[in-house]
Amino acid sequence: MGRRLRNLFYRATLADHAYRFLFEPGPPDEVVVLDCETTGLNPRHDEVIAVAAIVIRGSRILTSEAYKAIIRSDRVPPPESIKVHRLRARDVAAGRPMHEVLPELLRFIGGRPIVGYYVDFDVRMLDKYVLRFIEAKLPNRRIEVSEIYYALKYGGAPPGTVLDLRFQSILSDLGIPSLALHDAFNDALMTAMMYVQLSDMRQRGARIGRDRAVQQEAPVGA
Amino acid sequence: MQGFDTANPPFDRLTHQESEELRAGLDVGYFAPEEVIIPQGSSTDWLHVVIKGSVEVRDGSTVPTVLGPKDSFDARALVHGAAGEDFVAAEETLCHLIPRHVVLGLIHRNAAFAAFFYAEISRKLDAFAQQRKAEGMDSVLRARVREARCRAAVFIDGGATIEQAGHCMKDNDINALFVRDGQRIGVVTGMNLSKAVVLRRLPLETAVREACHFDVVSIDRDDFLFEALLLMTKHDKRRLAIHSNGDYLGFLEDIDILGLFAGNSQLIPGRIERARSIDDLAAATRDIQTQVERLHRQGIKVDVIAEMTSDLNRRLLTHLFGMTAPPSIREAGSLLLMGSEGRGEQTVRTDQDNAILLDRDVPAADLARFREAFTVALDGFGFPPCPGNVMVRNPVWSQPVEDFIRQLKTWVLQGDAEAVMNIAIFLDAEAVAGSADVLTRAKEALFELVRGEAALLSRFASLIETFATPSLGVLGTIMASVGAGPDAVDIKKAGTFPIVHGVRTLAIEKGILKTPTVARIEALVRAGILEPAFGRELSSALHVFMEFRLRSQLQALHRGAMETESILRLDGITTVERDILRDALRVVRQFRDLIRSRYHLGAF
Repeated sequence: MGRRLRNLFYRATLADHAYRFLFEPGPPDEVVVLDCETTGLNPRHDEVIAVAAIVIRGSRILTSEAYKAIIRSDRVPPPESIKVHRLRARDVAAGRPMHEVLPELLRFIGGRPIVGYYVDFDVRMLDKYVLRFIEAKLPNRRIEVSEIYYALKYGGAPPGTVLDLRFQSILSDLGIPSLALHDAFNDALMTAMMYVQLSDMRQRGARIGRDRAVQQEAPVGA
Repeated sequence: MQGFDTANPPFDRLTHQESEELRAGLDVGYFAPEEVIIPQGSSTDWLHVVIKGSVEVRDGSTVPTVLGPKDSFDARALVHGAAGEDFVAAEETLCHLIPRHVVLGLIHRNAAFAAFFYAEISRKLDAFAQQRKAEGMDSVLRARVREARCRAAVFIDGGATIEQAGHCMKDNDINALFVRDGQRIGVVTGMNLSKAVVLRRLPLETAVREACHFDVVSIDRDDFLFEALLLMTKHDKRRLAIHSNGDYLGFLEDIDILGLFAGNSQLIPGRIERARSIDDLAAATRDIQTQVERLHRQGIKVDVIAEMTSDLNRRLLTHLFGMTAPPSIREAGSLLLMGSEGRGEQTVRTDQDNAILLDRDVPAADLARFREAFTVALDGFGFPPCPGNVMVRNPVWSQPVEDFIRQLKTWVLQGDAEAVMNIAIFLDAEAVAGSADVLTRAKEALFELVRGEAALLSRFASLIETFATPSLGVLGTIMASVGAGPDAVDIKKAGTFPIVHGVRTLAIEKGILKTPTVARIEALVRAGILEPAFGRELSSALHVFMEFRLRSQLQALHRGAMETESILRLDGITTVERDILRDALRVVRQFRDLIRSRYHLGAF
């Protein structure tokens, strides 16, 4: 409810009416998977340095038409973030400024729902730029894969069940091969694979067994 | 796009640029359990490469084949427009989707990649065999004769003296000359000259035509070296003339290739001929076995290995027959090899099926002595005895031909499983020593007996149902996914036997005397029983199974576990080999259906 009101407000005050399409519904059976790599985890200080978006049409992941961009940030990425996403200052410098990338990205996303893993973080990171740019936040519906996973695996679980919603755990539970992590495109692709399988399972009423042994790998970033 | 493995055949055939192009065009598809990805008879817009999950290949009747990660499907539906089977997701499955136009573009430009998509497995196999050559996997044997070091051709007139010939050899530093004698061309060697002078005491002035021979064995300079080796083995020669466009160009000697060449099969016939005792022959037997492995390692095609090995085994048994048979048996008897040895399809020795037919009565004591001596010798060579006791030592398999024909008649009347199997074994008989007439007589009598006997033929054909249609893995895949064991397929039951026996059934019906399966198939094609294209497919499929069988046999030998000799582990072969195996099994299935409907096996 809150978001609908907010969207009505943004729609009314939208600075650039060329972006009204964001408020129109996208093609009926399409969603877009979004992943951002950032200099850190604080939306207030940190910057987006790479972004990838992939459209899913029905049960097909359109990787051949994926959107990928590296963004030249004003800030030098701090060493600890380089360790995570392996984009060094030099790579980031080879990127393009956000004001070039953003219109392309927004057109790519259109009115489609945005799918992601902890999608709120990615959207919050982007909103920082979007707000400056069109004086509105992204109005798109958001779909959280870990939430679908939670419902299929832990929905109705007895109290005290240990929850494990880590990206790697979801991957191995679904049997999806792990690609190199912390590359915006790969992360988006793996998220897309999770999404198509999870939404099919949800539709069929299938559940994910809790007793299934989950192969745990070393903690992310270790 | 990352996550697509271009090292996975057939994509390893692509150049870097081509694989980048492929990656750029990839999508990913998700398929829910039981979703039909490609229905039988339809085409598809994508080549699917499994990322995760499994896909069953169902043809309605039999247990499905299962495809797993890295397997691709379906070349047939993509390129030729119609899938041969249903492709159904067996669990939640993700596939890379390569658009048809991308695949077609790559097929157009890259011949090695294209080979994967050929409709006929015979072409596919040939292409992959050539590929192996290009990869330098196999050695000398696939080189051409012209690439070997060879001796120049020097001609001498037939009227020249032996002395002149000798000097001519010395001057040219060679030890063989071509002799031109009118229209004939012969060959004289240093050894011929020595023998003429020393042993025959011919004067030095004798014309060289008296010392030379005119039955020149020659090979084309564009032939493969393995063909030269085959000729040397067959003719027991250590030197071949090289010809091209009707002219002799020089000589190829065994030592020219020997140094390059780890095998020495051309020396084995000599060793067999020179053998003076059973022990000498036993040594030659071991040589035959070790060279099978060597030839296989060198990448020789399995049909060539089988041909060479059969040839050597026959020489061996012929010689053994000469050593162990008393004169009465030698004159009256015809030694038969049967089963896979009779068909010339045995590589690693698994059992012995042999018999002797006599064209007249022989003294009982002689026969008994021969049975004993022959059997003891084969045991000594380490030939595994035949489980069905189809051996010379069994009186049923060593009797005068008239009695044996009566025996055949009894089997035909009995028509039970054992009788039918005996008939099948006999049908593959090949005479290796003594006159082949008695064998032909017995076989023609058999053809006469079964002519028009639809019920018997049908019982004969029904042996093809002995082993169920193979599953290329359902249970196995499940087992593998729970870590209990890998996929495996019994090559003999799944592939070789149905082809060999089905062809044998058609051969008995049509009265075809030839024994090798490929020769029978050719005869059946000529007789209009099989389509030429299907005949080729069948022969290729047989070679596929023989190749895989030989591999697992050699592995079993090394592990000392011969009971697993025909078990092929699917995790030990590449995805392209799995694909070829799948194609070959598809041919078997088609052939089984053909036999089933021709002989009305539905009634059994």
